[in-house]
Amino acid sequence: MSLRTQHDVLSVEWIKLELIRTAYSTRGGLFAAMDPRAVIGWYLLMAVAPWLTHNLTTLAALFVLGAVAVALARVGPLVLGLFVIGLGFELIYLALAATLFGGDLTTVVALLEVTAKLGVLSLASLAAFVSLDPEKLSDALLALRFPPAVAFAVSYGYRMMPILVEEFATVVEGYRLRQAPPAGRGLLGWRALVHWVLITIRAFYPIFLNTAKSVRTTVEALEARGFTFATIDPRGRAIRIGSLRFGPRDAAVLAVTALAVACCYLVGATWPVYRG
Amino acid sequence: MSTTQAPERRGALRGIGSARTSTPQNLMVFVLSMALFGLANILLEIIPDVTIGPVDLSVAYFVFVPLTLAALLNPFWAALGAPLGEIVFTDLLMGDFSGLSELEGFIQMFLAIYVAGSVVRNPRSRPQIWLGALLIVGIDKFLSAVVDLAKVWVGVEDAEYVQGLPQSILLLEGVGFGIDLVISGILFGALPAMWLIPALHGRIEPLLGMRPRVPGEPRPGTVPWAGWFVVVAVLASLLSFVFAFLEAWDVSIGSVEADFRGQYGDTFLWVSVGALVVVLALAAILFSVWRRRRADR
Repeated sequence: MSLRTQHDVLSVEWIKLELIRTAYSTRGGLFAAMDPRAVIGWYLLMAVAPWLTHNLTTLAALFVLGAVAVALARVGPLVLGLFVIGLGFELIYLALAATLFGGDLTTVVALLEVTAKLGVLSLASLAAFVSLDPEKLSDALLALRFPPAVAFAVSYGYRMMPILVEEFATVVEGYRLRQAPPAGRGLLGWRALVHWVLITIRAFYPIFLNTAKSVRTTVEALEARGFTFATIDPRGRAIRIGSLRFGPRDAAVLAVTALAVACCYLVGATWPVYRG
Repeated sequence: MSTTQAPERRGALRGIGSARTSTPQNLMVFVLSMALFGLANILLEIIPDVTIGPVDLSVAYFVFVPLTLAALLNPFWAALGAPLGEIVFTDLLMGDFSGLSELEGFIQMFLAIYVAGSVVRNPRSRPQIWLGALLIVGIDKFLSAVVDLAKVWVGVEDAEYVQGLPQSILLLEGVGFGIDLVISGILFGALPAMWLIPALHGRIEPLLGMRPRVPGEPRPGTVPWAGWFVVVAVLASLLSFVFAFLEAWDVSIGSVEADFRGQYGDTFLWVSVGALVVVLALAAILFSVWRRRRADR
């Protein structure tokens, strides 16, 4: 029973829905209502902070701060689960690597510090980028003078990805229906693995052709609306980013975060723990 | 379900020669490369990695996807789109964005795909496809292995108390390089590409309004001066090293900071916190001034 339930939870359909929910940030949350430029600024603040110290107490405090931000941003279970699993594997790997190659505990602590820094970075990017819907993110990138192609790529990627994943799943199911499954599983299920890998690779052939068609439609629609010419004339950019408003709420969140980061450093200065 | 059902459109095929490629066609190649490589990376994100001890047996990426696009279409735009697709689709959306090292990965992947795409002169030649697949993985993984080794080297020189690390890292990088070359380069690179590139040759180009490549014709989007390209490539890889070292840099900053702490006590920490606050305040003031000026305009 429990196996069956787990199978349902981890189905492709669930992953797809979860990705759509993530991409469109329908969960709401603190950062979803903020100005996207302020969110990017917030992310930069959180991303730079852990690299300026070696104090493990400060890093732990920053990690807690990142976790609070993730909770406030209402990050979904799929993305959060992938992050936690990744962090867990990283820790296991560190312990294994250290014991296998004769290092002692200091090696682990040294590597743990880097892992903690990367963890803070990941938490910040989870909270920030999961909260931004594609339009806002691409407007913010445009406002920060990124190339228009990048801003378009972000917006297009977020919109298209759930569709592409769905299309891919459809094609894979079609291939599976048309073929007999492998006769036996083989040692460690290698036959099933090879079967699955072959189907995945074969599925790319129709996907290449379908995506080429839809990309041509997209680009022609863009050009019909003057995408390239809008990038030449600065007024096009001004119209697009005209809707962005930096309000008191954004300033407040940034100020509180700066204060919290300063507090983390204060805590670290009061009870410092260094490796080695 | 949502597969495109529209009949194939007919129209003048506008060619893919370097001088004649139009901006919309470049944009198409760019977007196509981004979407497909992003999709491939999403699939890999869902598949769990197999790790035996410290050796990672996972597939790094589906090399055949960018190789196919670079071999059949304009390699420059395909190479530009693929790493961006990886960043946008997986790293940003999955919360895997790791700041500066993304730039490092972008430059390495761009160089690898562009060089491999330029090497394939005949999309139906199997040896060239093999060479291309191995070049992508070889260049990308070699650059990142060199960066990793150098990072640890610098870090270890500064922090001598990390024991048992240099040899283990060297061994792991070497083994990892070999495994990546076999799994990503051959099993998920050369072998699928050997089938997919000839299968798509002549079929995918008309969908984008282009003429299929004739073997031996000059590469679309070839750099006119090979010498300049080498210079730019070296500069770009140096740049990726710089980004990588900005990350590793904190090791040396840390040791300096520890020294300062020893000399000046906790005042140093307060100075750094103060500096942070001052910088933030300055940024806020500048931003509000800029906003007011923009509002006046």
